[in-house]
Amino acid sequence: MLTKINVGPIHPSTHGVLRLVVTLDGDTIVDVEPHIGFLHRGVEKLAENRMYMQSESYMEKIDYVAPMAYSDLYVAAVEEATGIHPNERAKYVRLILLEFQRIASHLLWLGTFCNDLGLMFTMFTWTLKDRDLILNLLQDVTGSRMFYVNMRLGGVSIDLPPNFEEHANKLLDYLEKRFKEYEAFLEKNPVFIERTKGVGVLKREDAIALGVTGPVLRASGVNFDVRRDYTYYAYEKLHFIPQIQTKGDSFARYKVRMQEMKESIKLIRSALKLIPEGDALGMPIKLISPPVKEKEVIVRRELPRGEGMIFMVTDKQRPYRLSLRTPAFINLSALKQIAKGASYADLFSILGSLDLVMADVDK
Amino acid sequence: MKINKEELIKKLKELSSSGYNYLVKITAVDYIDHLEVIYFIRNMQNKKEENVRLDLKNGESLPTVIEIYKAADYYERELSEMFGIAIEGREVKRLLLEKWDGLEAPLRKSFQWGSDYKSG
Amino acid sequence: MSDERFENAKREMEQLVVDSLKNYKAPVGAFFTNLKEATKAIASGAIRWSRKNSLWPMQFGLACCAMELMDFGASRIDAERKGYLLFRGTPRQCDVMIVAGWVTKAVAPEVKRLYEQMAKPRYVIAYGECAVSGGPWWESYNIIKGIDQILPVDVYVAGCPPKPENLFEALMKLQEKVGGKIED
Repeated sequence: MLTKINVGPIHPSTHGVLRLVVTLDGDTIVDVEPHIGFLHRGVEKLAENRMYMQSESYMEKIDYVAPMAYSDLYVAAVEEATGIHPNERAKYVRLILLEFQRIASHLLWLGTFCNDLGLMFTMFTWTLKDRDLILNLLQDVTGSRMFYVNMRLGGVSIDLPPNFEEHANKLLDYLEKRFKEYEAFLEKNPVFIERTKGVGVLKREDAIALGVTGPVLRASGVNFDVRRDYTYYAYEKLHFIPQIQTKGDSFARYKVRMQEMKESIKLIRSALKLIPEGDALGMPIKLISPPVKEKEVIVRRELPRGEGMIFMVTDKQRPYRLSLRTPAFINLSALKQIAKGASYADLFSILGSLDLVMADVDK
Repeated sequence: MKINKEELIKKLKELSSSGYNYLVKITAVDYIDHLEVIYFIRNMQNKKEENVRLDLKNGESLPTVIEIYKAADYYERELSEMFGIAIEGREVKRLLLEKWDGLEAPLRKSFQWGSDYKSG
Repeated sequence: MSDERFENAKREMEQLVVDSLKNYKAPVGAFFTNLKEATKAIASGAIRWSRKNSLWPMQFGLACCAMELMDFGASRIDAERKGYLLFRGTPRQCDVMIVAGWVTKAVAPEVKRLYEQMAKPRYVIAYGECAVSGGPWWESYNIIKGIDQILPVDVYVAGCPPKPENLFEALMKLQEKVGGKIED
């Protein structure tokens, strides 16, 4: 006797607007079917009607938890098409700002993940306070709290202020102490261990066949990271190492993101020592449609949620076709296979550990 | 590499058994008298990438590749409703748009801005 | 004869009530002809004061402006110190609905149904440019251009996204509308 339950669109535990139709047999899940499309607004069609640099602020609103990573992805695609490349100092400045953005995005994920598991609002208020300190530092550099639009062709819009290094080092020392407290709080907690160890196991062959990406792929034992394999900016000189776990359950996905935050702190510290002198400003924003040389462009970046890719066919003043590959779209399609055979209370632990943002799923 | 529509399944089977086992994206571009469909695939051992292209006339249908790559499910559903391509071999349901029967597929160049107001 | 006695008593009663209401700041030009109207005025003043100081909002974050709503309820910019506590999940216990994020044609029936499930008196705030007029996506094929095409709106807040301090000012303006001017 099978029963159907509707986890409706507006729900406190789904991060955004998502509808799941769950088929149960007693307490065991037989089938999960997601219905999406509640936030679809057609970004790929809108970008065909704008000039090149006018759609940079559209790309930031696709993923609103880590907006600077998407605007960096789009500006890199335009840079490949026009041939204006950033110089040495601009590469280091972009790397520092992007790694701060990665720490802020993982902190928000940690807060809402613990909300779903039942440790209600304790980790949420702690991690949101730390994220607010990082956003204040980024507000000193770029001028805005949430949507920065500070990537330009060949650099950034405003260079780093003169006393940035001591502020950043003070903040990184504070964050290291807080990460030790978070680990001591969570990893000996019997509620957390009971709800995440052995739950939602994804094996290595299934992970490659289903096409998942990001920390979900690295938690199943696949050694792949865009920052090392298709390298960009200055990751080679800073000796970057990707973090791998082998078990494939929810605890492994949590551990990968925790280790990535610590690795980002190391990268920022060594980048602040090796940064060269010079000028990191790019072209002014009045140059909306630069002269284009290439016909087809492919760019890849490592976003906090996975691997993102742009494939663009160019025209004279506006793109002819802009095709986006976002990581949350393909991570959601693996939910059906992971959740088969689990009990109903484990569904939210699995859904939280995949790290979805619903505006990323329906572009 | 550019191939014809009939050798698609044979070519993908040959590539996937020689190590190219990760599907990155299936996308399409609308040149007004024909469509071009592109498959991006990647080898996880030596990290090389390959793209397979084919031309499709207006009104033709595309064979499904879900037995070779399981990740093609969501990509084919999105392609069939955004460009109006029919997929032969399995039943595809709507993914992103709702109440869109009888109207033009949105990502085609012949879609007029404001033509969806008739749907209410 | 007996009517005269009763009229005297009535006049004295009025004088007593008017004397005791001398400290109450009644609006100019109002006067009470019997005790029933006076208690009605005091009671409705008390009800209006208590309603405007404890507005309970409903969490309705759809998109990017929901990030600022989470910051509004967290510990650095505190929402509880002014009375807007307890973001609830069900609409039966709430007074204010803060619509944050863009609304597409698929979500619009759900928004209308949630508004009708709230108990009266109920108010709506449109937070962010996407709820005010469609925002940056005004040319898209799947978007409703402004929430005031389906719901009656009381306060509009502009910005993309507006800072959480702007939401404070919007809620204080709503308090003026609910219960009269705010005393210092």
